[in-house]
Amino acid sequence: MTKFKIDGKEFEAGPEQTILSVAETNGIYIPTLCYNETISRTTSCFVCVVKDAKTGRFLPSCSAYPAEGGEYESSSEEVADMRRTALELLLSEHAGDCEAPCTIACPAHAKVEEYVRAGREGEFLESLKIIKKRIPLPMSIGRVCPRFCEKDCRKNVTGNAVAINDFKRLAADLFYDSYMEELPPLTDKKVAIIGAGPAGLATAYHLRLNGVAAKIFEKKAKPGGMLRYGIPEFRLPKAILDQEIAHFTEMGIEIECGKELGTDFTLTELSSKFDAVVAAIGCWKPGSMYAEGEELAKKGIEWLEINNCGGENPGRTIVVGGGNTAMDCARTAIRLGAPTVTCCYRRTENEMPAEAIEVHEAKEEGVKFEFLTAPLGIRQENNQLIMTCQRMELGEPDASGRHKPIPIAGSEYEIEADTIIAAIGQSTDATEEFGLNKYGNVRVDLGNFLMIGNIFAAGDCVSGAATVVEAVAAGRKAALGILRMLKLTDEKPERTINVSRGHWRGLSKNDLVFLRDDVSDEERTPLDMLPLEKRVSTFEEISRTMKPEEIMAEGKRCIECSCTAKDDCKLKEHSEACGARVDAIPGKKPTKSYDTRHPAIIHDKMKCIKCGICVKVCKEVVKANLLSAKERGFKTEIAAAYGLPLPVSCTECGECIEACPVGALDWKIKK
Amino acid sequence: MMVNNKIKKIRVGTASCGLAAGGTAVLEALRTHASDIEIDEVGCLGHCYAEPMVEVITNDGKSFLYAGVDGKDKTIASILNLEDKFRFEIPAIRKSKELLKVLKMAGHICPTSFDEYVEHGGYIALKTALANPPEWAIEEIKKSGLRGRGGGGFPTGLKLSFLAAKKAEQKIIVCNADEGDPGAFMDRSLMESVPHQVLEGMLISAYATGATRLIIYCRAEYPLAIKHLKIAIEQIYEHGLNKINDHELDIMIKEGAGAFVCGEETAMIASLEGKRGTPRFRPPFPTDRGLDGFPTSINNVETFGNIPLIIKDGAEAYASIGTAGSKGTKLFALAGDLKYPGLIEVPMGTTLNEIVFGIGGADPDTVKAVQTGGPSGGCIPKSLFDTPVDYDSLKSLGAIMGSGGMVVISTERCMVETARFFLDFTHRESCGKCTFCRVGTARMYETLERIVAGDGKPEDLDFLDDIGPKIIKGSLCGLGQTAPNPVLATLRYFRNEFEDHVLHGQCAALQCNNLVDVIIYKDNCIKCGLCIKNCPVDAISEDFVVDNSKCTRCNTCIEICPKKTIARAKKGAHNQ
Repeated sequence: MTKFKIDGKEFEAGPEQTILSVAETNGIYIPTLCYNETISRTTSCFVCVVKDAKTGRFLPSCSAYPAEGGEYESSSEEVADMRRTALELLLSEHAGDCEAPCTIACPAHAKVEEYVRAGREGEFLESLKIIKKRIPLPMSIGRVCPRFCEKDCRKNVTGNAVAINDFKRLAADLFYDSYMEELPPLTDKKVAIIGAGPAGLATAYHLRLNGVAAKIFEKKAKPGGMLRYGIPEFRLPKAILDQEIAHFTEMGIEIECGKELGTDFTLTELSSKFDAVVAAIGCWKPGSMYAEGEELAKKGIEWLEINNCGGENPGRTIVVGGGNTAMDCARTAIRLGAPTVTCCYRRTENEMPAEAIEVHEAKEEGVKFEFLTAPLGIRQENNQLIMTCQRMELGEPDASGRHKPIPIAGSEYEIEADTIIAAIGQSTDATEEFGLNKYGNVRVDLGNFLMIGNIFAAGDCVSGAATVVEAVAAGRKAALGILRMLKLTDEKPERTINVSRGHWRGLSKNDLVFLRDDVSDEERTPLDMLPLEKRVSTFEEISRTMKPEEIMAEGKRCIECSCTAKDDCKLKEHSEACGARVDAIPGKKPTKSYDTRHPAIIHDKMKCIKCGICVKVCKEVVKANLLSAKERGFKTEIAAAYGLPLPVSCTECGECIEACPVGALDWKIKK
Repeated sequence: MMVNNKIKKIRVGTASCGLAAGGTAVLEALRTHASDIEIDEVGCLGHCYAEPMVEVITNDGKSFLYAGVDGKDKTIASILNLEDKFRFEIPAIRKSKELLKVLKMAGHICPTSFDEYVEHGGYIALKTALANPPEWAIEEIKKSGLRGRGGGGFPTGLKLSFLAAKKAEQKIIVCNADEGDPGAFMDRSLMESVPHQVLEGMLISAYATGATRLIIYCRAEYPLAIKHLKIAIEQIYEHGLNKINDHELDIMIKEGAGAFVCGEETAMIASLEGKRGTPRFRPPFPTDRGLDGFPTSINNVETFGNIPLIIKDGAEAYASIGTAGSKGTKLFALAGDLKYPGLIEVPMGTTLNEIVFGIGGADPDTVKAVQTGGPSGGCIPKSLFDTPVDYDSLKSLGAIMGSGGMVVISTERCMVETARFFLDFTHRESCGKCTFCRVGTARMYETLERIVAGDGKPEDLDFLDDIGPKIIKGSLCGLGQTAPNPVLATLRYFRNEFEDHVLHGQCAALQCNNLVDVIIYKDNCIKCGLCIKNCPVDAISEDFVVDNSKCTRCNTCIEICPKKTIARAKKGAHNQ
């Protein structure tokens, strides 16, 4: 037996034991990528290095046998730095997509590819289950989401994105009521949540799934927050919202309406009565136009609250603003019978924060747009309103990247209206108990959404007015923060890395990896819209949910961009554990390509880390010797002889695939 | 044609260098015009700048050298008449600084003649060794202080003693003739000129260690060396010199396919075994488990070439030359910005000043640095040229002895570009196994490319400082362990040049195209229009102004200008 030390602790090694093997036996973490016990050493990745304290040399622990009396460092900062650099070098030449771009783009990181696959296979309940792991409001989000996922969909390279959000909508429409999550028994912990909007509901949902009861206090008469009071009926029918929220009550989440922060209770009170408090109070304070006489205008968000399911004809209407609220106001006004609706925005259409589809639909419904114009003042004359406007021109881009509007002197003009609605943003209406940041939003630690003590905050009040899916994502993170604080989970804050082939705009069809032969080239299935004449006259939902067969066909369009090995990648695992960053070392990626010529196996040379395990496994274990390294230096690649595809004569034993530490060799089928 | 009757014999240098310069034509012409005279092909005298070379030996024993000759009748006649026209004298300073030991016979004997080698004292050492017990030879080599000439500098005697101590069914000695450094040709010259000397060293080593299999791993790009070695091996068999201790030694040549990494001993073993040439982790060392699992000792050509000298003249005589830690002489391939490039042999401890300015005849006013050790070595600035050349001094300066390449760098060369140039070779020659070497050197190279292209950032220098030592620490073999040297050494001694590039967008040497302008200084311009006419991209206007946004810095105008009034200048430094 050889006696030696790792990080000052004494160990003994048998005659055939390397430093790595002793460390593994004793539960000491040493990351390694190229070590595989079934084959002779490859000693190539150098991620497993330890420092020989006596000689100062760095040794690959997978291959180095300890010396009698040897002292080795495995956890010093110097060793950690070497390992991190080795991983970062490998990441710098590792080209692929760990996660599909849709999933990365989704603020809630819902496993898009998985639920689309389930939908393609007609497994809509399964699809819903995957969706609800991250999105507890699939009926609403399936209708109102601005579809971040679709904007990054690789299908855009060849045509239109997969209609991802419609998978949620159908799955939820079919199975929302009949699916009840497994609920663990409740612990004795209880959390108070202020606000029954998307963030509050999502927090309560994830807490309940982890055995923590939540009580939601809601100031309005009914729960739903902006979903109910901000989004008009024609985009999200309130009956559907009721149905969706009913499920929360079924889960045992208590919602008490008509209870307002500052009036009925304070943060401090809740903080002492509950184990944790979550403020999900949203953004309800309308922004100012800073124009003389602006009190003559309606506030967008307040006006919608009254009118979003129907109301009086507002007459000739001007909506000021270019966001989604402005679109909702304008389209609601159309439905209320306004003879003209004009939307005034101080920049151009390109800079509008509203979703393009909303703008498009608003135009279809007859909303007129006046760009590059800003209100200076409003006055009342003879029962009508007159707004003085000034023409603008675009200047240099500002901090947000948008071009700053600059007034053109002497360009003032006037427009008449019966109703003017100012929809120019909302901000957080916080009580004095909150700490605010420079934007007037609640200041939290964005790792766990903790504000102070046991008080957390999430949703629009933290981010500023944003989307439902972002609120839902924040709610989950706040719930995880609470669970960690209450020591109900030892799950660390997620540090995930994601390698990406890049945005689809920089890719061509040849860059896409097709695992399936049946990826469809058909056009995107269009949404079945309500006829225009019905749209402009009623508050009926503007589109219908896609049919199951439509969704299944749409699912075939999905390329399935994520890595086949994303849940089983040692490079990812160790990089996350060792703090290696994907873009730490910039440089060219290899120009090799993936090879899908074998019927069952994908060989993605861009992902290969040249550890050499597959070569040795095929030679030493399988005794087939079908793979070898080719070329030198950065161009090194693993290939079959003569650059031919992997021979079909290979018995598909899968040993190389099993042994590949990354996704360079894998089955084409994703499980 | 008249042939001077004093001529006894003529030697023509037909080593690769001589042949490349046109030696074949000279040889043929001489044989045609002086068919009565003995005309021998000999190896290399080391004066590359003077090839093709001919030596004429007269009946009274005098020797006349002719340099830069060709096969034309006039030239041949001039030689055969012992005229002065092509007469060549070895520069006096070189004569005074050089000490020809290993290369003593090179250029003076016919490489393919066994008898000539023996006449000049060949195989005396082998006989002496065989007359003594095997341990004696090892002790002599140990006492001589000989260190491995391949670059590592490991004591040869010790290495051989490891192999001698092994009890094994078979022991193997490999001669590393995979000379891969660009610009290095010491081993090639030695093998081409005196192949028997290398083989004699191997035979002595085989006797001393009990090895029965001898392999010369020679790069296939050395056909002449291989040819000469093959002939020499046949002659050894013919003379029964391969029968040692009742064993019949097996001597073979393995031609390497040209991967630089195969010069590393474990990679070489893999290659010899028919595998991809990649190094492996040591231990086990080759002397414990080498080729086909048998104990194997690998030594460089020049190392073996030294062994007969030690055995013949005695360890003491050998050790009287050199410095405390580095004994004997060393061959260097001198190249770069100097007057007399070539192969030289000097005692260890000769200073860089003596080599570069003395033997090499470089101009002290324009020399900036010297790169020792080939692409894995480092640049040493002129201010340190009083350093004696030995293993330890060079290492302390961040360079290495390497196998003996020495490239002189003038002030007209950018050190960043020089570092990029050397790394270009090593990063492509990495075998691709170790992460740090495969990716790290590629990233270093890309960074240097960016800097010379004028796109460097100050952070790039931090990156180079950080990654370089990590590549050294995190690579299995000598390739990765030395590849960052040219960069790290230039960063150490010429950091200002790097900073000029990344901070000021300037290349002081005016070499980096993106960082210079081409200027026509009109004072001397005679408006001949040659520059305008010859500019391939029409970047020069009718009133003789260079449009530097069009100019590709091809230097055509600079070279063609009869008044030398066009020049490179710092970017943006001049307004025309």
